[in-house]
Amino acid sequence: MVIRANTDGQLFTIEGIAAALIMLVTVYLVVNSTSVYTSGDTHINDMQLEVIGTDALKMVNTPISGNGTGGQSPLALMVEKNDGDTFYRVFSNTLNNRTRGTPDSIQFVANISYVKPSDGTVNSTPLNMSRPIYGGEHAVHVSQWVMVENVKYPECSAFPSFCKGKHAALVEVLLWRD
Amino acid sequence: MARLNDDAQWIVLMGFIVSFSLFFLALMLNQSTVVGQTTAEAVSEFPKEDIRGVRTMIIDSFFLTDDGGPSALENRTWVQGEIRTLALSRQEAAVNFSHVADVTDTMGNIHSIYYIHFNNGMSEYSETYTFP
Repeated sequence: MVIRANTDGQLFTIEGIAAALIMLVTVYLVVNSTSVYTSGDTHINDMQLEVIGTDALKMVNTPISGNGTGGQSPLALMVEKNDGDTFYRVFSNTLNNRTRGTPDSIQFVANISYVKPSDGTVNSTPLNMSRPIYGGEHAVHVSQWVMVENVKYPECSAFPSFCKGKHAALVEVLLWRD
Repeated sequence: MARLNDDAQWIVLMGFIVSFSLFFLALMLNQSTVVGQTTAEAVSEFPKEDIRGVRTMIIDSFFLTDDGGPSALENRTWVQGEIRTLALSRQEAAVNFSHVADVTDTMGNIHSIYYIHFNNGMSEYSETYTFP
């Protein structure tokens, strides 16, 4: 008697495997549908915007003389004079200009954070903005340190000698795309 | 007797394989959304620019002096205190730094040694800065 493999049910086997796979895929889709994951959740855009913003702000915070002796950066001079107009022009161009085509449309709000002479707490005063932030924007935060002297903070009239000296300040910028 | 027609088994098998590969391609397309998330989050989380900025400020502050006298410009004290305050309140980082010692090398040159520490709970950075 010759024993040979029974090949009668091959098609049924394949059909069974296919049905099992379809069920698995269904379960996979159902379980996944509870967490809808969009590309915005991955923070890749945030990271790119943060890098662009940091680079732009750092360019404004680079001394022009370039002789390595640590002259003051344009950003430090703008903070000292509270020169928001120049900051708007320089930073907006640095941030949005591209080598060709239309400029980018990154919006920003810039503040100066400093230590108040009166009580040593931290205060922020606006530098400039491209438009107000209303709360719905998904903004990222970048900052640059500057060393300034002869500042014009709101409290300076009461503390003239303090404001004449050198101080550390932090230029903080919120960036978002419309 | 009616029985299953198994003439076209190869065609069925090929269809099976093709649909299987399509399923895996769709799966890859689906996963492409989340690829890069870990990278992006790691880049955003690591305070590279905070450390660079505060380090530059600290080193600059070592070259300031407290004038005292009638002008009473306590530049060094002011700036160093403000670096600590601003880093803590605006960058959520504890920053500490100090002048450790002056050492004289075999050539008779004096080197100033400073410690710089930065810690924001996630990342920690310590440096021994020597000048010159």
